[in-house]
Amino acid sequence: MASGLYSQHLRNPKVRVARNLVMGIFLFFFAAVVLFPLVYMLAWSFGPAQEMSSGSYAIFPKTWSLDSYKHFFASSQYSVKWLWNSFVVAAATVVSNVIFASMAGYAFAKVRFKGSKFLFFLILMAMMIPYQVTQVPLYILFVNKFKMTNTFTALILPGCVTSYNIFLSKQFFSGIPTSLIENAKVEGATQFRIFRSIILPLSKTVLAVMAINTFMGNWNTFFWPFLVTSKESMYTIQVGLKTFKFANGTLLSPMMAGATISALPMFVLFFSLQKYFLEGVTIGAVKG
Amino acid sequence: MKSKAPTLRDRRFRITLEDLNGWAFIAVAMAVFAVMTIYPVISAVITSFQNYKPFGAEWVQFDNYKTALTNDLFYKSIRNTAVYTLITVPLSLVIAFSVAVMILPFQRKTQSVFKSLYYIPAVASGVAMSVVWLWLYDSSPSGLFNQVLSFLHLPTQNWLSSSKTAMLSLILMSLLSGQGSSIIIYIAALMGIDNTYFEAAELDGATFFQKLRYIVVPLCKPTTLFLLVTGIINSFQVFMNAYMMTGGGPDNNTTMIGLLIFNNAFVYGKYGLACAQAIMLAIVIAALTAIQFKVAGDDVEY
Amino acid sequence: MKKFFALLLSLCMILSLAACGGNNDQPTSTPDAPKQDTPAPAEDNKTPDPEPAAEEDTIVIMAPPVTGDYADLLAGWIADFQKEYPHLKVEVISTAWDDHSSKLSTMALSGEAPDIAEVSYGAIGTYVEMGVAMDVRPYLPEGALEDYDQNALDYMTLDNTVYGLPLYLTIQALGGNRQMMTEAGVDVDKIQAQGWTYDEFLKAIEAGTKDDTYGFVFANAAVATGDFVSIFGVGAGITANFTKDLKYAYTSENMKTLLSSVETMVSSGWMPNYAVEAGQRLVMLQTGNAMITGKAMPLFENNINKNNAGIATGEAVEGSIEVEYAFLPVPTMDGVTESCFGTVDGMIMLRNNNSTEEHLKNVGLFLNYVCSGQRAADTVNQILLACVCQSGRDAQAGADLGQDPRNAEASTRCIGMVQAPPTGVTSEQAANAKTLMDETIIPKFQALLAGEISAQAMYDEVCARAFDLFGQDGCETGVIK
Repeated sequence: MASGLYSQHLRNPKVRVARNLVMGIFLFFFAAVVLFPLVYMLAWSFGPAQEMSSGSYAIFPKTWSLDSYKHFFASSQYSVKWLWNSFVVAAATVVSNVIFASMAGYAFAKVRFKGSKFLFFLILMAMMIPYQVTQVPLYILFVNKFKMTNTFTALILPGCVTSYNIFLSKQFFSGIPTSLIENAKVEGATQFRIFRSIILPLSKTVLAVMAINTFMGNWNTFFWPFLVTSKESMYTIQVGLKTFKFANGTLLSPMMAGATISALPMFVLFFSLQKYFLEGVTIGAVKG
Repeated sequence: MKSKAPTLRDRRFRITLEDLNGWAFIAVAMAVFAVMTIYPVISAVITSFQNYKPFGAEWVQFDNYKTALTNDLFYKSIRNTAVYTLITVPLSLVIAFSVAVMILPFQRKTQSVFKSLYYIPAVASGVAMSVVWLWLYDSSPSGLFNQVLSFLHLPTQNWLSSSKTAMLSLILMSLLSGQGSSIIIYIAALMGIDNTYFEAAELDGATFFQKLRYIVVPLCKPTTLFLLVTGIINSFQVFMNAYMMTGGGPDNNTTMIGLLIFNNAFVYGKYGLACAQAIMLAIVIAALTAIQFKVAGDDVEY
Repeated sequence: MKKFFALLLSLCMILSLAACGGNNDQPTSTPDAPKQDTPAPAEDNKTPDPEPAAEEDTIVIMAPPVTGDYADLLAGWIADFQKEYPHLKVEVISTAWDDHSSKLSTMALSGEAPDIAEVSYGAIGTYVEMGVAMDVRPYLPEGALEDYDQNALDYMTLDNTVYGLPLYLTIQALGGNRQMMTEAGVDVDKIQAQGWTYDEFLKAIEAGTKDDTYGFVFANAAVATGDFVSIFGVGAGITANFTKDLKYAYTSENMKTLLSSVETMVSSGWMPNYAVEAGQRLVMLQTGNAMITGKAMPLFENNINKNNAGIATGEAVEGSIEVEYAFLPVPTMDGVTESCFGTVDGMIMLRNNNSTEEHLKNVGLFLNYVCSGQRAADTVNQILLACVCQSGRDAQAGADLGQDPRNAEASTRCIGMVQAPPTGVTSEQAANAKTLMDETIIPKFQALLAGEISAQAMYDEVCARAFDLFGQDGCETGVIK
């Protein structure tokens, strides 16, 4: 635990309390600023489902109602299905990333094998090509060669192991002492077992970060799902929201309701994975 | 590929060569990588030398590169992107690091409250948030930011529609909305620093800032490097903010290279040109990344 | 847990193997594929089937919400169509306005374009340049083309080739609050019937500006600026990107006049000196914060009436007042023939990997079906425009649209003044004109509206870039009458 950075020389509790108070107030203030757009979104999602003039911009709506939410669910018979589709895609992507990206990350960090430097270099390089130009070849691949329009496979596969996640886990695993792995090897453990029973349990934080980031990335992706779906029943929530013109600048509340609905599963996921963020202690025990 | 399937099973019975282990571990990732990334990238490279048409592309050698390099807007967009990156990425890191350090001394419960507060903004979708920001930046006197300015007796601004403030607005938006994940990653790194370092430093009478300077910063280097590299890569490819907020205007002052590539590929149908621009962008990013790794030095192994 | 893990692992191995297999032949087949197709650009490499009538076929059409419920309308028409042609299936891809073109581009670039897609005049050049837009004439039913107005068909024509059929001609001009304008001493009826000069317009908006009300509001945030240029451009004599003798028009003297007039207008204080979002302009008209707004279409009368009705029930925009909508022509500059900005949205026919001769005949059949008769009338009636084909007008006859007769007359008058673009423009010229508009004219115009550059500086920039793209000979630098 890195609290040693602070407390030791502060024997005087009053000083400590004062220090924490100042930092706490600052943190709260800054958090309020950062959170403001979100609060604004949430508040206005309960506003009236009608057009707004810019003269009536305020932080909170004058009247509160659920009209905008009703508007969203009434917009299409598939609106719930969109949420489900997004969930399936994001969840499948998270699972495969957590397993395969972390495996690859581990190999690049701790297994000395031929070609590892080169392959890792390739992965880094690939991150630098903007996605705009890879969409067309991918589209040809999925639609023309695989005939996969309107399938979950087409929605899931392109993101199922991302370079970013391999890079993230490699960086993290590099920090785990090699001696730990060598000891296990001497005792006859296979690499797979080492990974399963030593590395993964130590890495809950980074896996949780990876899971959330990946889920979020997929949940919020618009362009690819928009390209490979043409049936309303296969839309993801982002495609559904945009196609049904929630993006009309003056229909503020329905749009904010849509945004809130689409953000809701993220909150749930975040709070359910939150405890893993607190397990930094265990990593600390081995790192450094 | 096919020869590798048995090794997966073999591994359980004998201690295999590290090579086989390594390949088995990366097999799935690399297979996906080959199809989903390498193939499209190679295809993009090929296309960059073509006047691409879906039925009957013509080879034009370096014409696309020449066109891109003689276009003022290409340079302007690179400059815009560079300015945006040079300001947002380092500032983001400083903000994330400072917040992480400040969260550290609190008790666990308080810590997790702060972590949540700072992470939550990251979960709302980019499109929805840009809409909120559009409202905040509304240029009429009743726009929220303008109301704040009026309250402070400052002149109201034409936020996104004036060359003076458009880029600044995008930067401000980026700084205030994208730190959650960096903060969490930094906290994980900070928690990983062993207390013995601090105890030793304490004995030597080190101050808080000395500890920060000589222990925390060097030990967080892998994390910083990761955030820096991915931050710069993302920032150079940034496209959504300009696309949603300004459309590149006014006077192309917020036209990012990502937006230019998108427009060429999907609006003007100049896909070959877009590929050429993308590849040049990738080279620029690669060079920057190489420099970062060099500067990071030998104490971080890659 | 272990079992699950192993299962997942093997599953993914299989999947990746399959994917790898697909990948292996990929790089070789992509460069080849176009080559196979190139020898026969107009016709197709696959031989037509001898017994076409019985052959089942699927036609794909992609459309944004042209009218609010266009997807539903389409579904109904398709059901009717299939009664007559049971062997033809039609698949609809519905898109959003914002993303219609990026999806269409991606599909077209992949060789997987829909057979029929909604496209506006300005974007046709892009698809022709891409080599996917097709000459529709050989594939339409006998005599079908004669049903459509030549004026509207001209918009679907580049380099004398017809690439699609027009859906409607939309006019874009200004809209005003009739009562406010009358109070400001403006003769609205006269303007609607005869048009007005630029000076009259300036006087009107000066008189209309007071307290919380601007005389004139134009949506000018971000890319909406482009409308300002094209709509007022017409009032200055620039009716299309190219003049009748195929010279680029935005380098003419008329452009210079237009820009300096806009400069005066911006600094006058009779319009907001800040950026106005597209959605806000109509709201400002509804709340009485603006007397005249742009761009405006005849269709806005519906929005305004709906809002008026909503005042009592609380469904209207906050702060709304009762507004009587007047559709207004754009003011005309001195020495220029009055005209109105119009553009045609239509359905174009696109080439994809499916395009056999027989398939294209079927596509042509459905294309003509969707763009004509009752279908055209249904579409157009909802957006208060006129049909551009005889069969549509016949179907439309007698329909009561509930439009103010004065507005109806004004809009008919404006439609009559729309000048179709020259049909000899090449796809390259068209594509370059679009690039120039998006990369130079609109950005510079944004700067002009923000008071950051002078009219002269902007004009010089536009000329420099245009000379670059079209050559000095390809640009009109004199006065367009």
